Amino acid sequence: MRVRNSDKVQLVKQTAIELIVKDGLEGFSMNKLAKACNISVATLYIYYKDRDDLILKIAMEEGTVMAEAMIKDFNPDMPFEDGLRRQWLNRYAYIKDKPQINSFFEQLRTSSYQEEFLAGFLTEFKVTMSKFMHNIIDRGEIEVMPFEVYWSIAFSPLYNLIRFDNEGKSMGGKPFKLTDEMLWQAFELVVKALKK
Amino acid sequence: MNTIENFDHILLFKTNVNCDADKLLLHTVLDANPDIQCWNVDLDDEDCVLRIVSYTISHPQIIELMNNHGYYCCELT
Repeated sequence: MRVRNSDKVQLVKQTAIELIVKDGLEGFSMNKLAKACNISVATLYIYYKDRDDLILKIAMEEGTVMAEAMIKDFNPDMPFEDGLRRQWLNRYAYIKDKPQINSFFEQLRTSSYQEEFLAGFLTEFKVTMSKFMHNIIDRGEIEVMPFEVYWSIAFSPLYNLIRFDNEGKSMGGKPFKLTDEMLWQAFELVVKALKK
Repeated sequence: MNTIENFDHILLFKTNVNCDADKLLLHTVLDANPDIQCWNVDLDDEDCVLRIVSYTISHPQIIELMNNHGYYCCELT
């Protein structure tokens, strides 16, 4: 009999994310992970079939947590500005809580895991987000535009400010710390840009 | 929180199965075995871990089977 220690499972997940963010998917192995967690490789293989299984399971679990965090107190029928503000609040709070997660998903996004990770996954979350955009277009709150254009204007400024903040510097290495004032100033400008 | 679970049916081995051709051969050896629920080998890993799910087979049986087919195989602990 072995004991399933949920603290250990949590440690494995957290360490795997840290290693993937630090060394990339190429440099990530079960052996390295076991060493970093101070557990035996066999323990890892009890929980996970192989390296792919581990990466995908962690990605699915983290993706579900992310989707829940992002749709908290949000519904697709909200008026444009309220809905977008809620999205900014949720996304900002989630990334503040899990600063490494964006780099982790970014690693997956540019890898062969992408297809499996995205296929049929987060469907509800994606439907909610797309419903919100269609609702605000139908109500004439914003112009008709492709989803990609909407997303880029609505969220890229937020993610870019967060990236500067995470790195502690902006263009040309200039020291940078994101304040609430800057965040909401950017939000107001985004609203202005999108609102009809 | 700890929960006691029985993982005795998961058998793990360090092997030298490190390419697709080896894996293909393993299919012919392991797929036909009715005592094996499922198996996989991690070709990405430096220990080339063979993972077998079986409620009846023991470690020495698998080691013997693998050795008979010319593979290195020992229990992963």
